[in-house]
Amino acid sequence: MARGINKAVIVGTLGRDPEIRYSSQGNAVVNLSVATNEAWKDRETGESQERTEWHRIVIFGKLGEIASQYLKKGSQAYFEGRIKTSKWQDQSGNQRYTTEIVASEMQMLGKRPESTP
Amino acid sequence: MARGVNKAIIVGTLGQDPEVRYTASGSAVANLSVATNETWKDRQTGEAQERTEWHRIVMFGKLAEIAQQYLKKGSQAYFEGRIQTRKWQDQSGNDRYSTEIVANEMQMLGGRSGGGGGGAPMESGGQSQPRPERETAPIDDGFDDIPF
Repeated sequence: MARGINKAVIVGTLGRDPEIRYSSQGNAVVNLSVATNEAWKDRETGESQERTEWHRIVIFGKLGEIASQYLKKGSQAYFEGRIKTSKWQDQSGNQRYTTEIVASEMQMLGKRPESTP
Repeated sequence: MARGVNKAIIVGTLGQDPEVRYTASGSAVANLSVATNETWKDRQTGEAQERTEWHRIVMFGKLAEIAQQYLKKGSQAYFEGRIQTRKWQDQSGNDRYSTEIVANEMQMLGGRSGGGGGGAPMESGGQSQPRPERETAPIDDGFDDIPF
C-alpha cells in the first residue's frame, strides 16, 4: 500500500528576515514567516475581501543557508515541502501543537535585491 | 504582483470516521483526521524508521456531505486544498493556533473498505466536486498591499 503523500506548495512573501541557527552538529536550521494572500468577492455585498495566511517554513542544511543568505523581508519565493506538526508543552504543562512546512525545495522569485549580502 | 500560492496535497488514510456538523444555514462542515507515513533509513544503524504525520482536514458544503457518506476510518483518499491557521483562545484566555487543510478537492482511493459487506459500488473518482462556499474564485483586482 502507498505510504501517502504529504506535500505543500507555497509561493509567498517573507514577513521578516530569515532566522538562522545551527544544530549541535553544525547544520543550519532556518525559520521563515511567509505570507500568502487570498482574495474573493463577498456574495452578498459584492465587495472584495482579502485574507492573509501566514506560514511557518523551516529549511535545513545547505538550502537553509542559501535561504538565509539571499532571502529577506519582502522577498518572494517558491517553497515546496511537507507539513509537519510538532507537539510541545507550554510553561503550564499543556500540550501544544505547532504546524510548519519543512521545505525541501526553494526558488527565489522576482528581481534580485539591490545589495546581495 | 502575484497574490501567492497556498496549496497542500495529501494522500492518506482516515484515522477515524469523519465528523460532520451543520452550520445555522444548513451547510455541512466535515472534519477529518488523515495520516500520512514517512519512512527513511537511519544513517547510523541502517534500520528502517517510520513516522506518522496526522493532518486535520476540513471540508465544506457538498464535498463535506460526500465525505460523510463515503469516507470512514481506514479509507484512503486524495485531498487538495489550502493551509489555514486559525487563532483561538483557550480557557485561560491564551492565544492558541490550529492549522488545518481546507480541502476543495477530494477523491476516494483504493478498494471500498469492508464493513458494508461489499456494498454498492460507488463511482466518485472522476466526479467534479462543487467548490465550497468559501472557495469563490479569487478576483484579481491588482492589489499589492501586503501588510508589512
